[in-house]
Amino acid sequence: MDGRVGLRASRRAAPTPRVAVRSSPRQRARVREQEPVVSAMSGSGLGKENKAGSSTPLRHRPNAFSELDNATPRVMLRKIIQNQPQVSPLALQTVQLEETEDARPEPPSQRTSSTVELQLPDLVPEDASVTTFRMTRKRKKLSISEFERAADKRLPQNQAHSTLDSTLVRSLRMSVGSVMAPDTVEKRGLLRRPQNHKAIDIAAFEGGVEQNMLQIKAQDYLVDLQTSSMTGTTTIRTDAEVVLNNTELFVEPQLGEQNLLAVEPQLSDSKTSAQRSNTSYPAHEKARLEGLVSRVSTDERRTLRFSEKDLITDHEHVDGITQKTPAKEGEDEQDHSQQNDPMEQFSESEEMAGTTEHHADAEYSEHSEKKLSRKAVSQLTAAQDAGVEMEMTPSEGGVAEGTEHQDSPKAELQMAGSPGGHSPASYSLKKSGAKPLKEAVEQTGEIERGTITGVLDAAEEEATDDESDIEDHESEEISMKTPMFVHAAAYRPHPVLSPPHPVKSASPELPPQPVRAKPVPKSSGAAQRKTREPEIASSLIKQIFSHYVKTPVTRDAYKIVEKCSERYFKQISSDLEAYSQHAGRKTVEMADVELLMRRQGLVTDKMPLHVLVERHLPLEYRKLLIPIAVSGNKVIPCK
Amino acid sequence: GYRRTVPRGTLRKIIKKHKPHLRLAANTDLLVHLSFLLFLHRLAEEARTNAFENKSKIIKPEHTIAAAKVILKKSRG
Repeated sequence: MDGRVGLRASRRAAPTPRVAVRSSPRQRARVREQEPVVSAMSGSGLGKENKAGSSTPLRHRPNAFSELDNATPRVMLRKIIQNQPQVSPLALQTVQLEETEDARPEPPSQRTSSTVELQLPDLVPEDASVTTFRMTRKRKKLSISEFERAADKRLPQNQAHSTLDSTLVRSLRMSVGSVMAPDTVEKRGLLRRPQNHKAIDIAAFEGGVEQNMLQIKAQDYLVDLQTSSMTGTTTIRTDAEVVLNNTELFVEPQLGEQNLLAVEPQLSDSKTSAQRSNTSYPAHEKARLEGLVSRVSTDERRTLRFSEKDLITDHEHVDGITQKTPAKEGEDEQDHSQQNDPMEQFSESEEMAGTTEHHADAEYSEHSEKKLSRKAVSQLTAAQDAGVEMEMTPSEGGVAEGTEHQDSPKAELQMAGSPGGHSPASYSLKKSGAKPLKEAVEQTGEIERGTITGVLDAAEEEATDDESDIEDHESEEISMKTPMFVHAAAYRPHPVLSPPHPVKSASPELPPQPVRAKPVPKSSGAAQRKTREPEIASSLIKQIFSHYVKTPVTRDAYKIVEKCSERYFKQISSDLEAYSQHAGRKTVEMADVELLMRRQGLVTDKMPLHVLVERHLPLEYRKLLIPIAVSGNKVIPCK
Repeated sequence: GYRRTVPRGTLRKIIKKHKPHLRLAANTDLLVHLSFLLFLHRLAEEARTNAFENKSKIIKPEHTIAAAKVILKKSRG
């Protein structure tokens, strides 16, 4: 009790009767008197004081009580602010452990002359008082008057000993500083953790980030569009762009890298070739640029194709395309004389290795567009035509070169340079505007149509085009390399090009399509499924990663995350194999995986596996992994 | 709540692709997925820290690459 009083007194800013009481022998009596009253008074006093809003010292003492009574955040906050050292929480704990009644008689018996000793028991009695107070809340209301009376009594008495009490209070505070500190922390913890400025920064940072997310996304999207539609030479520099432009569903990043490598040299080559063509065809500069753009798009497509492994599909197409390819190539050359220049150059660079592939490439280019969805089918077919197996990357390069070769023999035939230029121009414009995939599909459709019925048409077109394209011989030779799709696109948008075959654009679409469509999808679908490697869905990776990172992520970064995931699975599969082998087993068990996680530092002595399971896995899987004991001596899942 | 189903089949296929002779016990693929989630979690934290250090509010590929080097090394058994 003495301690309690003393504590309360110490809390009070001004010397109080209670503080004085402590130091005087009268304390005992007073304390005793106060004890029964204090508990009630403290609560009531606190309530009263709190309500009054006054920061009187009295409130300090009944902090615990007031907290109990008025555990509103506002009140508690106020108390905290006003009463820095808070003994009550700690006192409460001690009290809870003890019997309230026991606590009360104890302090009086323990009373000693030393203030320190008093202080300690003060805690106890305070707790007791607190608990008693809790148990008897009603007392608070009843004993207010008593409290006041006692307070009045004590005030004059304590004032005399104010100075002494203050020292006592100070000593008390120091002695119980450690005690207080935790209280403070606890109390603060209840109400509010110390402001973590870093957290605030991050919070503000993230808030701003979120606000900018849309902008960034829009920008990215715009940038992507721009990059794809812009002068293509620089657009597809990065893997990301190449892959980004790849609208295919399943694009293997590795291929993308290859494509990138292929693309870059191609681009450089195309530039040079474009320059060459430029010199010869200043009129075609525009076309060239367009061709570049188209090239870019074709590059993109190529990357798409690269990603696809459709050798099988290519075979099928090769047969059908063989006929067309020669004619097509001629057409393509004509149509894409200008475009071809950059494309060819581009393709040339790609195709260093496959000479035979050139032909295939021409076909491939034709078909590649069609097959954007089919992915590399055209490449394969083109290669097949050439009689050489085409690899993904070389195929594209080969295509360009193939067209080149084909073009050279057909240089004479040169298709309409101007119309070809126009078509490529329009085509390129069209391409830049539209999605590569879409265009490619269109183109492939065009090509397909052309392949069957277009052979003649192509020839006709070539004838017509040749005249106009005589000028473009040179460019055409280079442009021959332009992907077939360019050619296909060329004639599609320009029925004018083939006036003798107005129906070509219309009718050929239907008849050839069904014929071609059937074999193509089949093979591509089957081939894709077979050749497709198992990967974690990129959408899932994006979802998980963005959920964990909580800030916007560029698309390129996602690609990198996917690559890391693949490498991670490779690593752990070998690790798991080592662990199970070490245990003499051929099957990986749960213990092996747990050991793996332990070695990764995810499972520690402080962090058991089950906790991680609970935190990160969905509920239905938790049930499978964590055995739950249910009544009837059962454990789920049964062991 | 985001996607709630674990791609168990895909996980098994991936491990099979790398180690065809290795078998997996009943629910081990769930634990493998858990380790994968935690790997992504670590990677995300590291990348986020890198981006934050560069005063960038967006995670860029370079941040991710640097983070990947560290975390892949850490995730080796």
